[in-house]
Amino acid sequence: MARVGVFICHCGANIAGKVDVEAVSEAAINIPGVVYSSHQKYSCSEAGQKVIIDAIKENRLDRVVIGSCSPKMHENTFRKTVQQAGLNSYMLEIANLREHVSWVTADKDEATKKAMDLVKAAVGKVSFAKPLTPGQVPVEKRALVIGGGIAGIQAALDIADMGYEVVMVEREPSIGGRMAQLDKTFPTLDCSACILSPRMVDVAQHPNIRLLTYSEVENVNGYVGNFNVIIRKKARFVDERICTGCLECMGKCPLKKKIPNEFENGRAPRGAIYVPFAQAVPKVPVIDKEYCRYLLSPDPDKVEVKEGEKKPKRKCGVCAKVCTQGAVDFNQQDELISEKFGAIVLATGFNLFDHSKYGEYGAGKIPDVITALDFERIVNSSGPTEGKIVRPSNGEKPKRVVFIQCVGSRDEAKGVPYCSRICCMYTAKQAILVREKLPDAEIYVFYMDIRAAGKGYEEFVLRAQREYGANYVRGRVSRIYESNGHMVLKAADTLVGMPVEMDDVDLVVLATGSIAREDSVELANTIGITTDNHGFISEVHPKLRPVEVPREGVFACGACLSPRDIPDAVATAGAVAAKVGVLFSNDILMSDPMVAEIDPLKCAACGACVSVCPYSAITMEEFRGKKFAKVNEAMCQGCGTCSAACRPGAAQLKGQTDEQILRSIEAVLQW
Amino acid sequence: MVENPKFKIIGFFCNWCSYAGADLAGNLRLTYPADLRIARIPCTGRMDPLFALKALLEGADGVMVSG
Ligand SMILES: Cc1cc2nc3c(=O)[nH]c(=O)nc-3n(C[C@H](O)[C@H](O)[C@H](O)COP(=O)(O)OP(=O)(O)OC[C@H]3O[C@@H](n4cnc5c(N)ncnc54)[C@H](O)[C@@H]3O)c2cc1C
Repeated sequence: MARVGVFICHCGANIAGKVDVEAVSEAAINIPGVVYSSHQKYSCSEAGQKVIIDAIKENRLDRVVIGSCSPKMHENTFRKTVQQAGLNSYMLEIANLREHVSWVTADKDEATKKAMDLVKAAVGKVSFAKPLTPGQVPVEKRALVIGGGIAGIQAALDIADMGYEVVMVEREPSIGGRMAQLDKTFPTLDCSACILSPRMVDVAQHPNIRLLTYSEVENVNGYVGNFNVIIRKKARFVDERICTGCLECMGKCPLKKKIPNEFENGRAPRGAIYVPFAQAVPKVPVIDKEYCRYLLSPDPDKVEVKEGEKKPKRKCGVCAKVCTQGAVDFNQQDELISEKFGAIVLATGFNLFDHSKYGEYGAGKIPDVITALDFERIVNSSGPTEGKIVRPSNGEKPKRVVFIQCVGSRDEAKGVPYCSRICCMYTAKQAILVREKLPDAEIYVFYMDIRAAGKGYEEFVLRAQREYGANYVRGRVSRIYESNGHMVLKAADTLVGMPVEMDDVDLVVLATGSIAREDSVELANTIGITTDNHGFISEVHPKLRPVEVPREGVFACGACLSPRDIPDAVATAGAVAAKVGVLFSNDILMSDPMVAEIDPLKCAACGACVSVCPYSAITMEEFRGKKFAKVNEAMCQGCGTCSAACRPGAAQLKGQTDEQILRSIEAVLQW
Repeated sequence: MVENPKFKIIGFFCNWCSYAGADLAGNLRLTYPADLRIARIPCTGRMDPLFALKALLEGADGVMVSG
């Protein structure tokens, strides 16, 4: 007969505030199989763990149930605890009384009843637990970095400098991310490209880094130390090995001024064959197949020609003709690259709120209402206006420039309740840049609160106001409309409690908030991790494990976690590199023993499991004329699909057997 | 729901998505009715139809599979 011990954690008031822990603990003693039950303030504390260890020894417990926070928090902690008491670490079951009960239930009685049920389920399940032994798996000491912004660049360089191989996958034709689009950077005002470009080149030249641009991650399988990743390298139609980066082709493309350049936020054109910006790494153009005349014209080999008619010719192809190296290759196809990695780093960054959702600011239709990112490009000497600050509507210098903060930040009505954290600072920076280029312009900044927490940040904002004469007005702008070739702006000054109306506004710059990348949820699903309700990647623990995500061996840094500036992006990138280094300091990792096993005596050799296994981990074997299915434990991911498909019950997932699950259902409903 | 809070619904939640999602609901302190008892399964692939039948036979008012 099993001897189960039940330990209920108060978690301070986190659980005990809603659940009557004493009642749960008392009731637990009556659950079949339970011989011991107690409750502690903090089971995870040293003292709490000692109570558990002592109770196991004194009461000769052979199984343990702990009612505490989610198993995702402390399952590993408690596995070690029971192991210290001499039990197999898998003779443990956690009842999730915090995330699934006390934190989500309004009524105390109901919470207590639910907690009792979850404890019963855990006892039922652990009663059929069997000791399990982890296997050993080697660690593939190579890292995949997804995203080549400043965060990804820093992480890749640090990991590569430790001596490990890195593959960097960047979706765009060049690395650099948003930082490459910026002009100068707060709070020091150094030129963004000047500090970024050398790092981009370092990535390209580092012997340990392989750069795959214009590529995306398509599929991720496996587990910590042993991920199998499929990367799609999109057809570039230019052979990277041959191209010398002379860019002769770009000048000859008939569409060279016809397509809005994404890098310039659409404010300058590019051709169908292009590099997004002059310092692009790699400096190898891509051909955009959505626009290229050659690629859009029908393939003569595939067109049916009637007798006597001439085969149609492909259009254009000028770039191929002018390339002295023969690097243009219209026949290039997407390539699927399959690679093995021990660790995955996410550094996919952020996007910007679409201000067309603000009807009161012209819904994106007033030409002289631009975004802060537009401004970065306009003020940049290699941008669309060669650094001249002009009004998009008429190309004239603006005399009155207004900045509006919190557009798509701290606005619950627009679904963005959070602070984007960088806008107060970049707005102050942009106000300074306006003053440097337009000494006579009037500058206004409408703000809600100034959030300038950071080294030298508050001083920077004060400088914008005092030295550079930016007029800060506290209040939200309620409306902007066009009138007589200028704009009229209506707002409230909440410090003096007066309405403000401003005519003759020439340029409005909206500090649009940071949002998650549009495909962040999809990417998270591909990798098997989660995002918060705004699409930013969730950390395991926001305070203590800020760069780890809830899938072991996967890490994240930079603005894909939450809005952040360059110093914070770089700091988290370094933290990720350190974590990867720790992981790679192991030659061997313990593998999860919760894999499937198939009892050859029960197996009917029907092959159902072989066909349903998503990981191709099951094969048919034969021994002395009897066929049976066999699991490759190294490939099994423990999903249990085989177990559900197996009619004779031969396939069982260790730690999640039919017996265990059925008994836990019975326990909740009958005990 | 409010008048009869004594439903027992057995949830079978995938460890990687929905179970984590239910944890997230906790982290965000979103309250919801206490009728749901969530069992953590490694993947909805593990969901044997037998589990749902067993739950209903033992008297569950409903079964929720999420993954
Ligand atoms: C207008 C403006 C001004 C700013 N000014 C300053 C400043 O002065 N000082 C400062 O410190 N900070 C400033 N910032 C903030 C700064 O831009 C960010 O801190 C920084 O860019 C974050 O870097 P990152 O690498 O995390 O993300 P990003 O720069 O967004 O880089 C992410 C990279 O990942 C790639 N990617 C995305 N998804 C995928 C995918 N699925 N697969 C492969 N690749 C992918 C992207 O193409 C991109 O190259 C400013 C931001 C804005 C908007």
